[in-house]
Amino acid sequence: MKKTVAMILWCLSALLMAETKTQTLRLALNWKPEPEFGGFYDAALRGIYQKEGIQLEILPGGVGTPVIQMVEAGKVEMGISNADEVILGHSQGAKVVSIFAVYQTSPMALLTHADRGFKELKDVFETPGTVAAERGLPYIRFCEKKYGLSKVKVVPFLGGVTQFLSDKKLSQQGFLTAEPILARKQGANPKTFLIADSGYNPYLTVVIVKKDFAEKNAELIKKFVKATQQGWENYLKDPSLANQKMSVLNPTMDPETFKEGAEAQIPLIQTAATKKQGIGLQTKQRWKQLSEQLLDLKVVKQIFPPETYFQ
Amino acid sequence: MKVHLKKVGLPVLAFIAVISVWESIVRLGWISAFILPEPSKVWSSLIEDWPELWVALKTTTFSVGISFFLSVSIGICSAILLFTSEMVLLALYPYTIFFQTVPIIAIAPLLVIWFGYGVPAVVASAFIVSVFPVIASTLTGLLSADPALRDLFKLYRASRTQSMVKLYLPSSIPYIMNGLRISGGLAVIGAIVGEFLGGVGIGSVIDVARAQQRIDKVFASVLLASALGLLLIKSIDGVSYWLLRHWHPSEAKES
Repeated sequence: MKKTVAMILWCLSALLMAETKTQTLRLALNWKPEPEFGGFYDAALRGIYQKEGIQLEILPGGVGTPVIQMVEAGKVEMGISNADEVILGHSQGAKVVSIFAVYQTSPMALLTHADRGFKELKDVFETPGTVAAERGLPYIRFCEKKYGLSKVKVVPFLGGVTQFLSDKKLSQQGFLTAEPILARKQGANPKTFLIADSGYNPYLTVVIVKKDFAEKNAELIKKFVKATQQGWENYLKDPSLANQKMSVLNPTMDPETFKEGAEAQIPLIQTAATKKQGIGLQTKQRWKQLSEQLLDLKVVKQIFPPETYFQ
Repeated sequence: MKVHLKKVGLPVLAFIAVISVWESIVRLGWISAFILPEPSKVWSSLIEDWPELWVALKTTTFSVGISFFLSVSIGICSAILLFTSEMVLLALYPYTIFFQTVPIIAIAPLLVIWFGYGVPAVVASAFIVSVFPVIASTLTGLLSADPALRDLFKLYRASRTQSMVKLYLPSSIPYIMNGLRISGGLAVIGAIVGEFLGGVGIGSVIDVARAQQRIDKVFASVLLASALGLLLIKSIDGVSYWLLRHWHPSEAKES
């Protein structure tokens, strides 16, 4: 009896939902569910998107998920990318814009063994040793230009922290919110330096959409941004709801690491400026600076006015 | 002459047709060049990035060469070993299948940690995927020597070495050659996968180009990797013809 009533109620609510015309948006992540996506999950779980008439479908990614290509090809409406990828994409003819930037300070960092006694990022590059990094990424070129790579041997980054644990003279790239916590759990004593301190600080974890989609759905995008801001406000205050869901979706990260990661990222997301103007803030000046840095590094051959990249 | 023209002309015509259709759909904007770069763009990447690609190609060729050589020598020797003793065969053959089924992409990071960055890890990766076809095909070849000839060898009391050198090995050559063709293609694939994480050669160029959204460069690199595979397989064909031309129906031409 109870079941039948529930069924009828469910059918009715489904009908009502159809009446209010919800729009389904697919958001492709560039990695597995982790704290860096907490705000999106929070807003989805609490029905904040739904209130704005959006049915958000979050699609987890993995190594090499071609998010920009997926968005460009219209396989998904939205995707998670990084500011430097957006600028690189534009130089290759992609027409996507960033509508929301999660991290004001990039969490990309180098993990070093604390007993090597490094004081700043510069020391990592000026002391003989090994650095494991994804060499396709512009940040390592930036460091090469700024600090030189003649003292260190750069090797491919294999993911995880195995390399770090097995070599006492190795420093590796990682997200402040994940790898340092993981390495500590496995018995290492890492000291972490943010790449952002070198002066290379792209917005990380930005939401991208196709330019023409953004133009045609300006109202929808406004609603999405508003709901996402709300989700992130919630997540920064209390990440437990989203963390619970994400740790089911991504069992490789344990609940403890979820909690610590969510805490570690707060100062990277919330700044004096976002407190005034809202989480997700992007400025012309930052996009301009980044595009000029990439041009200077010869990673791209041409750049566009900053408004091309975001809105 | 007419046959010759058809044999060369038709593939060339097909090539031109495909390339021009591909070029036009991208030029007309039906598909964004960001998702599928047009052939002319791939070509210009090939020219522009040649110095880098050439260095990478040489490294990859070197790794493929070494691992293919290892696969052939170790593969054939292991097959002979398995063949000479039924006990060994029963005990070990199931494990050789391990090499065929190992998901190389999953263990590639470990290979780097075990064998070191660069060429050693790449050779290990290429060897693991390319050795099995050699073992399997050599074994099949050894086991399918003509029974009548086997009896004849027994009748004349040929020693084990004599039978191996004069009967079993020669009659398994066509099988081995087939195995090598498969193994050669796999060696290139295994090397590229190893290079993704080993950080050298064409695989590394592909990895970096992907991160930089240079799909045209990815295509140019893939083209070179395929050319390398093709060259290897064609050389095996050549060797196969040279070894078998006088006696085996598969290579005996009507000329």
